[in-house]
Amino acid sequence: MEFRTLDGNEAVASVAYRLSETIAIYPITPASVMGEHADDWAALGKTNVWGQVPGVVEMQSEAGAAGAMHGALQAGSLVTTFTASQGLLLMLPNLYKIAGELTPFCMHVAARSLATHALSIFCDHSDVMSARGTGFALLASGSVQEAQDMAAIGHAVTLESRVPVMHFFDGFRTSHEIAKIVPLRDDELKALVPYQGIEAHRNRRMTPDHPVLRGTSQNPDAFFQSREAANRFYQAFPDHLEAVMSRFADVTGRQYKLFDYVGHPEAERVLILMGSGAECAHETVEWLMAKGEKVGVLKVRLFRPFATERFLKALPDTVQHLAVLDRTKEPGAQGEPLLLEVSGALMEAFSRGDRPNLPRVIGGCYGLSSREFTPAMVCAVFEQLQEPAPKTRFTVGVRDDVTHLSLEVDSELDIESPETRRALFFGLGADGTVSSNKASIKILGEGTDLFAQGHFVYDSKKSGATTVSHLRFGPHPIRSSYQISQAQFVAVHAPQFLEKFDVLEHAAPGATVLLNVPWPAEQAWDQLSVEAQRVLVERKARLFVIDAASVAEQAGLDRRINTVMQVCFFALADILPRDEAIAHIKESIRQTWGRRGPEVVRRNVEAVDSALDNLHEVPVPGSVTATRTRPPRVPEHAPDFVQKVTRLLMDGQGDKLPVSAFPVDGTWPTGTSQYEKRAIAQEIPIWESDLCVQCNFCTMICPHTAIISKVFEPDSAKDAPDSFLAVPETHTPELEGLDYRVQVAPEDCTGCGLCVEVCPAKDRTQPKRKAINMRPVGEHVDDEATNLAFLRNLPDVPRDRIPRDFKSLPLLIPLFEYSGACAGCGETPYIRLLTQLLGDRLMIANATGCSSIYGGNLPTTPYTVNADGRGPTWNNSLFEDAAELGLGMRMGLGKLAGRARQLLEDMKAPLPVELYQALTSPCVTLDESAMAARRAAVVQLRNWLESQQGSEAQELDNLADELCPKSVWVIGGDGWAYDIGYGGLDHALASGQNIKLLVLDTEVYSNTGGQQSKATPMGAVAKFAAAGKETRKKDLGLLAMSYGHVYVAQIAIQSHSNQATKALQEAESFDGPALIIAHSPCIAHGYDLVHSPAQQKRAVDSWAWPLYRFDPRRIEEGLPPLQLDSVRQKVPMKAYMQEEARFRMLELRDPQRYELLVANASDAAKEQRELYMQLAGIHFEPHDPVNEKTAGDGERHD
Amino acid sequence: MTDLITRWLGLELKSPLVLGASPLTDELDTLKACVQAGAGAVVMHSLFEEQLVAEQMAAHKFIDSRINMDAEARSFFPESEIFEMGSGSYLQRLQQLKTELGVPVIASLNGISPGGWTQHARELEQAGADAIELNLYDLATDAGDTADTLEQRQLAVIRSVVEQVSVPVSVKLSPFYSALPAFVAGVEAAGARGLVLFNRFYQPDIDLEQLALSREVVLSTSAELPLRLHAMARLYNRTGLDMAASGGVHTGDDAAKAILSGATVVQLVSTVLQHGPAAFERLGGELTTRLASIGYQSLQEARGALSLDNVPDAGTWERLNYARLLHGWPSSL
Repeated sequence: MEFRTLDGNEAVASVAYRLSETIAIYPITPASVMGEHADDWAALGKTNVWGQVPGVVEMQSEAGAAGAMHGALQAGSLVTTFTASQGLLLMLPNLYKIAGELTPFCMHVAARSLATHALSIFCDHSDVMSARGTGFALLASGSVQEAQDMAAIGHAVTLESRVPVMHFFDGFRTSHEIAKIVPLRDDELKALVPYQGIEAHRNRRMTPDHPVLRGTSQNPDAFFQSREAANRFYQAFPDHLEAVMSRFADVTGRQYKLFDYVGHPEAERVLILMGSGAECAHETVEWLMAKGEKVGVLKVRLFRPFATERFLKALPDTVQHLAVLDRTKEPGAQGEPLLLEVSGALMEAFSRGDRPNLPRVIGGCYGLSSREFTPAMVCAVFEQLQEPAPKTRFTVGVRDDVTHLSLEVDSELDIESPETRRALFFGLGADGTVSSNKASIKILGEGTDLFAQGHFVYDSKKSGATTVSHLRFGPHPIRSSYQISQAQFVAVHAPQFLEKFDVLEHAAPGATVLLNVPWPAEQAWDQLSVEAQRVLVERKARLFVIDAASVAEQAGLDRRINTVMQVCFFALADILPRDEAIAHIKESIRQTWGRRGPEVVRRNVEAVDSALDNLHEVPVPGSVTATRTRPPRVPEHAPDFVQKVTRLLMDGQGDKLPVSAFPVDGTWPTGTSQYEKRAIAQEIPIWESDLCVQCNFCTMICPHTAIISKVFEPDSAKDAPDSFLAVPETHTPELEGLDYRVQVAPEDCTGCGLCVEVCPAKDRTQPKRKAINMRPVGEHVDDEATNLAFLRNLPDVPRDRIPRDFKSLPLLIPLFEYSGACAGCGETPYIRLLTQLLGDRLMIANATGCSSIYGGNLPTTPYTVNADGRGPTWNNSLFEDAAELGLGMRMGLGKLAGRARQLLEDMKAPLPVELYQALTSPCVTLDESAMAARRAAVVQLRNWLESQQGSEAQELDNLADELCPKSVWVIGGDGWAYDIGYGGLDHALASGQNIKLLVLDTEVYSNTGGQQSKATPMGAVAKFAAAGKETRKKDLGLLAMSYGHVYVAQIAIQSHSNQATKALQEAESFDGPALIIAHSPCIAHGYDLVHSPAQQKRAVDSWAWPLYRFDPRRIEEGLPPLQLDSVRQKVPMKAYMQEEARFRMLELRDPQRYELLVANASDAAKEQRELYMQLAGIHFEPHDPVNEKTAGDGERHD
Repeated sequence: MTDLITRWLGLELKSPLVLGASPLTDELDTLKACVQAGAGAVVMHSLFEEQLVAEQMAAHKFIDSRINMDAEARSFFPESEIFEMGSGSYLQRLQQLKTELGVPVIASLNGISPGGWTQHARELEQAGADAIELNLYDLATDAGDTADTLEQRQLAVIRSVVEQVSVPVSVKLSPFYSALPAFVAGVEAAGARGLVLFNRFYQPDIDLEQLALSREVVLSTSAELPLRLHAMARLYNRTGLDMAASGGVHTGDDAAKAILSGATVVQLVSTVLQHGPAAFERLGGELTTRLASIGYQSLQEARGALSLDNVPDAGTWERLNYARLLHGWPSSL
């Protein structure tokens, strides 16, 4: 039998692709990969089973994709889509339509949590359950093999039944799990999907040759009957599905049922559930049966239409106690959806007399947002069923110390077969650990008889991310749909993990532990902490070390250690003969990297060959010899909440926290990133005060606020540590008398090097020495950490003392620091600058995307507060609605401020006149003196209100802060602004409200992995534009200018910070809507981002990214509203394009097309420039109300 | 009318004026216009060893290491199987030029390590290159590297390339050899068929404002020609290798001087970059006129007429030149 190892997404996409003609999609985690595969295959010309290359279209949103699906179905095409979570919600209106029209259609959902109190990209069934009223059949699968098979069954049964099918499987758990499966061949798929069904679907298509009308609007006399007319199709569906499943068994030998029962034939206790959890239950039931227990599990394949008769038949008659497990939560419901369905079916059967008794039924929730669901939890549920008075509603997998719904779980229970080999790998995102583990699974899955499984866990950081790979190999199919708790092999690929996490706690007794460390083998033991040594001693582990980074570096692989560690894994795990394993690894390198070129292969092979010479066993003594314990995870001065909650989240121990530890409504403190010292840089910038010219470029460009420039009163630093040098501020007259220092945050820096790149100051005897230079972190971390702590506590100089020019602005206190953004991120400097300008008066509405992940993904958040405790307040609603969210904030703010002013007016008489005036005089957000005065006046007001009686005084006290103006900024990426949120953005601009929209334009969907947006420039290769984007980038700025009342600017802070800072301040001062489009270099552009300032300059100089400001206020001054800040085209378009891999890829693949698109892009830039030059020359007559009225009158008379 | 037909590495060229290695390789229309204007052959820009390696490793670093590192973004580009970071695009371009131009196309390789990269020579031959110009570009910065070490390394590279292919190989040299004739003898023994004299090094200038190196490309001038003339005059008849002048030819007279010094072909780059393909027509006309005015019937007749062996005042090409200039200097004041 042929096997393949692949993940659920690929397995499902492969079937859906081959059984479809039209595919409309939109990227969303964790389903994006399915659409990407489809797009890739179409680009490569792969055909479906009928010899056609499916058409793949990426739409502006899932709502758009659903509309396109509906249309293609109406035209008679075979259609599919892939989605999850919020994407599924956006499709709902069309799903009702598609089902209402009884349209054969099968879609695939990688089930994911819906955003409620927080967004989560992880798995539960809340998305699918929200679609249970659509009229779609809901088909569940629980493993990679099942997901592939059920996908095929879904496509077949919809054609036979006319009921559209939503096939779902667990996001990340199944979608991203790599497993060894039997693939479905084209002939098998063809045999499953008979032509008659296709023909019938086509015959119902819309065509002027046989015209019909659908989508009527119906009245009370017709609608109801029409809905009832579809009943019989739902009644017939279970028969159709059973028939298809039988046919599937005939073709493949794998038999599925609508409800698959596994367990004792006379089981007394049975679990009912669906999805991957059922596989874990299956495994546990077999283990319990072997111990003689009468238990079973009923796997629900078909949730809707709920097939009551088949359900009753599948359940053993002997069952007395049932637990129904739902992977979703419906607050306030009598029970979760599967529980209600099961209860209803049993009740009805009993009341009809079809069942002699009613088993006792309890219902529980498990696995929300990919919370682990383990055999121990399954056992806990079975035990609960034995209780005389079990909890009728319960949770499992969480410790609920508030409503006490949770079950106790024996966390030590391990039921895994000793024949299954288990290996855990802790890696860094960029070190290739996951990639080589995927290769290892392929080697073992496809090269041996072993079954294999790989599951990968990522943290949410975009720089220095941690990955954990869970690999299982064994002689039997693997059903363990949960993470490994006890591994026989533990590899720690980065030495810093030993200091941060309890990485060795998962080592099984006698385990082999492999560490990549920079120390010689003979020193390795002594370098370990007490905690690490204790585990190794107690578990009697064998310890091996290798300096893999040096091996990789010597092979010219720049510390990419994955192949070196892969060799060590095979050498130590003893699954394959060593030579055979190494031959497989080399072959895998050739297959994977051969297309990159021979040098890449040569260097990787060289690393493989030298790996084993550097692998050494370290004897583990009988006792712990270390005295050094692991450093505390967060500093002692961290607030209580950080100590008690955030610390555990950082440690990867969050799931041990009880319910009571958490906010009830998703409200979290800001200012916590300062406690998460990630220490991911190997080199950090060190300041040379003698060379510094105090330009603050380093501070301006730093993506992580890991370099700050600060001015302070010299007296305030009298007690500075010895290493804390400062120099007099000498470059800004307003700051005379202050001291100045540039400070690195040594454990927050990512080592991107941008600060050094832009530093203009050089040592004239040795120009390579600048005013900041990258130096080894180990030599400086202690001093600089002390210096940073000292600097952070120095009093800030008054804000109004710092000039608002681009060189001085970085001296303002940033209220956005140490985010998890990528090293070299081009977005974050804009946000940091915004918080420097407006942080203590700033409300942010953030679209989902990179900026919501590095801005608001737990465990810590980068938005922080100033010494007064004020700082940005932030909310992420959805991907599509950030502009509307911001508009609503502004409206709401206006009402509160209006009420405060109203109350103030009501109290005007008794209020001291000066205080009244101070609270009502003009005050705008950018006027620091006025803001400071207003804040002081509010304090006085509150003091005064203390002596006042009455509810109004109390109310004004509550609202008094609203007398200080606030600034509302909407932040999002180009996917939001140009595509999914464009309607809202447009409306917000049209509204005339005083809100500001900042578009961090990376010209691609960065967060989901580089799919094209309408901001993607012509000629760029992106996902869904694999052949290079053919059309021009949408001119969002021009569209906004067309309103006439919108401030619009296009900026590029890394290369033109002067213009950028001007634009941001003009936008803020403009009393109306403003749109700022900000050029944001991104790793999705494919170059070393340390060169991004130069590359951004090329973008500006080539007119790929013209700089301009459109200020409607200028019309009043008799000036053209548009000012071009880049006038000439200084370099050819090609000089810009050739520096980025996204363009270069096209040149390598299709040079002629590249030349054509370069030429077209040049023409486009030329035309845009000519248009803008003309616009910048337009003069309007200043508005004259009298003349306008006259002109209007004249028109009326016409 | 002087016959301009010449033979270079065994290839018959309609004109000795050849487009040298330049960025123009990427501009098909310009190349066609050059041929139309009389270019006898086209040398492609170099397939640059370090660039190939650097690009592969950069892709490995900036694309491949960003795969499987994030829960949401599996990667940032479409599946990489649809493009490659090797010599593919160069070979495609070579094939295209072979089909479209109708004159010999000479591919160029630039590298210094005799390792695996010389296999590219075979790829170039298979893609249709009429000859291969090997650009030896080796700067000594290590005090341990003697002239002999470097020269032996270069000869090994030549041998390994010559072994890979059956098309003729020419070698483009730098002007900096202590014993040029001896080294050239080694080049010949290594199996090369021609010399290209000389490489104009990419020599960074110094930016006094920024205290940094500036990377601007500086075009040649006629002032650079005498260095080439001198070398060719010394080598003519002392080597069996065909010689091409490269660097400093901007007029028909420049070209005539090169041929009189012993050149078989004359490579043009800077003047074409400055004046476009029409430079071939102008220089061709000027060269014909000049040679005809002297009375040469063919290029063969003119070649090497003023080389060391043939020139009446041979000392001028030799060391005496130095003494006389110094001696004569005061009197010219």
